Amino acid sequence: MSENESHEAIAGMLALAAAGALDAQEQRRVEEHARECPACRRELEIWSGYSQNLGRLPQPAIPAQLMERTRTRLMQEHAAAADRRWDELMLGALALFAWTVGLTFWFVARVVTGGELVVMGANLVRFGTWTAGSTVLVWLTAAVAAIALGRRRRELRRAL
Amino acid sequence: MILAAAMNPEAFNGAQDAIARMRRGDPDALTAMISRYQHRLYRYLLRLVREPAAADDLFQQTWLRVLEKIGRYDARRNFESWLFSVAHNLAVDGWRGNRGESLDHAGDGDESGDPPSERLRAGDPDALEQLLDFERGSMLASCMQELPAIHREVLTLRFEEDMKLEEIAEVAGIPLSTVKSRLRRALEGLREAMDARGRRGV
Repeated sequence: MSENESHEAIAGMLALAAAGALDAQEQRRVEEHARECPACRRELEIWSGYSQNLGRLPQPAIPAQLMERTRTRLMQEHAAAADRRWDELMLGALALFAWTVGLTFWFVARVVTGGELVVMGANLVRFGTWTAGSTVLVWLTAAVAAIALGRRRRELRRAL
Repeated sequence: MILAAAMNPEAFNGAQDAIARMRRGDPDALTAMISRYQHRLYRYLLRLVREPAAADDLFQQTWLRVLEKIGRYDARRNFESWLFSVAHNLAVDGWRGNRGESLDHAGDGDESGDPPSERLRAGDPDALEQLLDFERGSMLASCMQELPAIHREVLTLRFEEDMKLEEIAEVAGIPLSTVKSRLRRALEGLREAMDARGRRGV
């Protein structure tokens, strides 16, 4: 590489050299060249000035209560997520309870009626009919109860 | 000072401990981490989006995302790079979702806080020098505002956050070679803006 080419190449590296963004070998090359070349030395000084000043820019003021507002928002999100988890758990527990109650009543109804309770042509204590009827009825109740409980829980949380 | 804190083993261990507690859902640990990084994170976001209100909202969103993703954070990674990359991604998502209002055309807003006179201590023998420093810094900050967001970002991460190029690459999700070229273009753009201002005598 001719002296002129080398000078051009080094000149293109001066900004990064001042920013500490070159590898050790490149940095050494730039410094060695700058010792011999007044123009590059001057440029390197200018870029160094930029690097120093960029590290000392006026600092922005933090908005009032930013930390408190962030913390409050985080707590609200955390509480909302906990509520969602609780609602899901409650719905699952209620559904399980509804199934247990439904099956128990079916068993009792079969024992009491001797396995036949015909209403409008349908045997209500047949397993399929009983299951379909109780599933719709009891699950709907469970869902309404879960929503009501969740709402109450949220109201309590807001009141606190 | 930031670098000194980063190199302080006690501070490092304290941060690691807070991260571990945060992963276990300890709210005090989260508060400690927000307090620890609030100035740096807010400054980074403000340099990036320029609008104080947008930076404020992104700051809050960043911590929400941190809370959401902390379970998946790899403790071998540098937490600061991870935190800033979360903030970077949210800023980019916000920009993509709001194309009508480009990051580069956001309002200028006064980000310097107190006026210079209030920043100077009364009776300080170096008051004039401080004032000149402040004005020089203000002009540089003002010229930096004219640069594209990607250039403002690389400048603040390198010079204010004192991040290594590898860390900047991690935050911005770009190759190391791109960080270098972006940094060079950012510095050249800044110098052009300063020279143009000097020629206008502003």
